[in-house]
Amino acid sequence: MSVPQMQNYINGEWVSSQSETIGDVWCPATGEKIAQVAYGTQADVDLAVKAAKEAFPEWRETPPLSRARYLFRIKDAFEENFEEIARTLTREQGKAIDESRGEVRRMIENVEHATGVTTMMTGYTLEDIATGIDCYAHRQPMGVFAAIVPYNFPAMVAWWFLPYAIVSGNTFIVKPSEQVPMTQTKIFEILDEVGLPEGVVNMVHGSRDVVNGLLDHPDIEGISFVGATPTAKYIYQRCGETGKRVQSLGGAKNIVAVMPDADLDAAMPSLITSFFGCSGQRCLSGSVLVPVGDVADELLEKFTAATKAMKVGDGLEESTGMGPVVSATHQAKVLGYIEKGLAEGADLIMDGRNFTVPECPNGFFVGPTIFDNVKSDMTIASEEIFGPVVSTIRAKNLDEVIDLINTRAYANAACIYTQNGAAVREFKYRVKPSMVGVNIGIAAPMSFFPFGGAGNSMFGDIKGHGQESMLFYTDAKVVIERWF
Amino acid sequence: MPLINFGSILTFAEEIETQNRDFYVTITQNSGCVECHDLFAQFVRDAQKNIKNVQRVRRENVTEMILEQIRDFTRDPFCESYEGADTMNAQQAMETALKLEDRAVRYYGEAAKKLKAMSEVSRALKMLAKKHIKYYNKLK
Repeated sequence: MSVPQMQNYINGEWVSSQSETIGDVWCPATGEKIAQVAYGTQADVDLAVKAAKEAFPEWRETPPLSRARYLFRIKDAFEENFEEIARTLTREQGKAIDESRGEVRRMIENVEHATGVTTMMTGYTLEDIATGIDCYAHRQPMGVFAAIVPYNFPAMVAWWFLPYAIVSGNTFIVKPSEQVPMTQTKIFEILDEVGLPEGVVNMVHGSRDVVNGLLDHPDIEGISFVGATPTAKYIYQRCGETGKRVQSLGGAKNIVAVMPDADLDAAMPSLITSFFGCSGQRCLSGSVLVPVGDVADELLEKFTAATKAMKVGDGLEESTGMGPVVSATHQAKVLGYIEKGLAEGADLIMDGRNFTVPECPNGFFVGPTIFDNVKSDMTIASEEIFGPVVSTIRAKNLDEVIDLINTRAYANAACIYTQNGAAVREFKYRVKPSMVGVNIGIAAPMSFFPFGGAGNSMFGDIKGHGQESMLFYTDAKVVIERWF
Repeated sequence: MPLINFGSILTFAEEIETQNRDFYVTITQNSGCVECHDLFAQFVRDAQKNIKNVQRVRRENVTEMILEQIRDFTRDPFCESYEGADTMNAQQAMETALKLEDRAVRYYGEAAKKLKAMSEVSRALKMLAKKHIKYYNKLK
């Protein structure tokens, strides 16, 4: 059966790659092949950069308010096609349809936030820095930027960057994940209708060659990346070598602490969402559950019961709480971690191996999995699993929790459930991760706040979206002026 | 079938509005129900607006914070049949319309309670309940 072939979008046109390497795209719920994508080449990157570079001079001269008006049109177009984007996303990525809708909402929120360019992009000025001399700092766009984005949020992550880049006068290239190219293709089909000037936004599909092509290209000013830590580190280093700006967001191992005074019934829905939402495939997912003191048994009893009540299945079904993981390869990797947890001596109290969904016998499912009595030096307590696997480490007190958090190499997010203000103050003051949730299981900053971690979870200085995005996408030009 | 999350509650609301619209459209084309045509044509227009409103509420309010499970809420008490609308007489059409409107009032009232933590959604659902109370009273 023939399946759609994904194309690149360069200079306002759909273009086929000359690459002979073709990858398959799978529906994780059914295991069916649903599309194919050519893994682009340096030639594809060169074409996209050329288009973006040529579009830049005219685009940067377009008044910011006019550029923002394109974003208003993009927002309207996304709202009109909202459900179609969400369904495409679930089909190729597997997450539950409500999660896809949430992702599309977050994508649009970034477009909405970026329309505030006329206040976000202003510089500042001071008269009389010396007698008769004034000084101004302008924020100027720089040229061509690119984003390399992951498979877990096929719609949203590119849009953490693109709206801010283009509204501030730059031009842009997106490289979607080769595992989930259909959603961004759908989005670019919608963009094509909006009528942005040719070359302002471009998309090149592919894998390693496209990534390296972007990293090494002398006409690209900066790179935004979200993905696994080894790649994030590689991108950071390589951009350093080629003199590019870079914001490179990596993986996570997020700890969720539950204090003895936590309201367990109120906490339970968000705890379940934290650990099992998107099948654990997000950098803000809870991964290590830490009951503190004598709350452990009651917490695990309630948590396990709530987990059992969650429906696992095809994400396109409205009542599905958790979908499959993205691919057969990833399924095997997650299952491998469960075996490792067992081999290292953790107690498996809920087993997600051999999990089947009768309506989807060929889907890439891993059932919800819960380990108890995990030790902090075990692999499942240290490495990013990126699946629906909970590692429970029992702690005696808050100090132990904070020590545990601060000894992980990752430092993306940390959450605490409690009714005790002093404990919260201590927690948020001392933990290293940059995103902290208090009685919140997914500490996801919205578009108007910065997104990104510390430690091995982020390489670079300026985080994603928020007001800081204008710093990343502009150069501060200072003019010191005197008239005789 | 359980309504366990934000999306399933709003999608069922869309289904209810779509069913109402389809029913009223069929009646406006049924020559045995001429006396209902004007009123039901208005209901068709309103249902169309309601569908758009429900879709907007779903689009604009779905965030990670509300992907949390909802308990003790199912579709079953709100399932109503409107089969045979094309051969109904006016009285049957009115009786069926009353049932459909009553079901909508009950559903939106209950859904507003289930989603009360989301004030904007809850408010929108209560407004829809009020609209359907108005339709019900008109039918009466």
